Amino acid sequence: MNLKELISELKNKYRVLDEKFNDPNHTFVSIVPDQLHAALGELKSYGWKHLSTISCVDWIDDNEFELVYHLWNWDSRSQISLKTRISRSNPHFPTIMHIFPTAKYYERDIHEFFGVEFDGNSEMEPLFLEFWDDIPPMRKDFDPLKYSREKFGERDYKVPFADFIVEEGDQK
Amino acid sequence: MDRKMSPETRSALEKLADWFRARSIWMLHYCTGCGAVELPPSMTSRFDMERFGIGPMATPRQADVLLITGYLATKTLRRVIYTYEQMQTPKYVIGFGSCTINGGIYYDSYNVITRLDLYLPVDIYIAGCMPRPEAILTAFNKLREMIEKGEANGWKRYEENKEWYRANQLKALNGEVYVTR
Ligand code: SF4
Repeated sequence: MNLKELISELKNKYRVLDEKFNDPNHTFVSIVPDQLHAALGELKSYGWKHLSTISCVDWIDDNEFELVYHLWNWDSRSQISLKTRISRSNPHFPTIMHIFPTAKYYERDIHEFFGVEFDGNSEMEPLFLEFWDDIPPMRKDFDPLKYSREKFGERDYKVPFADFIVEEGDQK
Repeated sequence: MDRKMSPETRSALEKLADWFRARSIWMLHYCTGCGAVELPPSMTSRFDMERFGIGPMATPRQADVLLITGYLATKTLRRVIYTYEQMQTPKYVIGFGSCTINGGIYYDSYNVITRLDLYLPVDIYIAGCMPRPEAILTAFNKLREMIEKGEANGWKRYEENKEWYRANQLKALNGEVYVTR
């Protein structure tokens, strides 16, 4: 099955909100959250067996997180990225570990960096950060510069040639 | 903090020891940063550090110099502190690349330290992102000079100002320096 046929089939079966081809072998498909698991299972049975990763986007103005599941098909060499949006105020989403067991670590990663809880995934403790003490750092309302200045300090120094460069620019 | 101690406090024997130390430097390179890629040419035939008596060492307990090649995440900083504390005195620290000086391109990172000298006593910094082998060799020769004159006193500063360093370490590492994981 090629990617075009697959999209029309998905559209028949599920509530597809949007779809967009990135290139002929890669497409993004947005789908409503409660149909995502069914769609993932179906795609897996069609040959999109490899879960490359899960990514998360913080749409802070819409008060939503977007989860993106990237699936790869080794036979047709094509990628499909399924997207779905969940609420940002109380971010919860059922795990997909029963479909793709490798999702365990990707979900743990997203939990650590965005604070999304994955119900059904038992391993939700931090994966990379040690003793993290602030809101999850990849959220848009986290200010890394402020955090860095407070925590790690700043070196006071002067760049001796900086004034000179500005003067040169003014003369032109 | 008093950065320079008067070299005259050294006994004749220590002066002699420093003369020898400056001529045989075993370097432990902690290569988490990208600048580490400049070390192979410095060590091998093109620039050949060994002509100055500098060689790589595999374990902290037998090394004299801890070379920190670039950025340190808080997680790696913890391991660097373990490594430094395992080394036997006299020991020297070289901060290699802009990342160790002011954070470099990671100046606003949630997880990367900006000033290495808050946590470990740096004897000499090498500026650049990344520094060329010529710069590395210049720094090592400068360090040799400092050792010979008794000016490379970082390890003494670390012992004398242990509380100050420890407080900084605790701040960056969120309240815990030694973990068993
Ligand atoms: S100073 Fe530059 S080369 Fe060195 S670790 Fe930092 S970014 Fe990499």
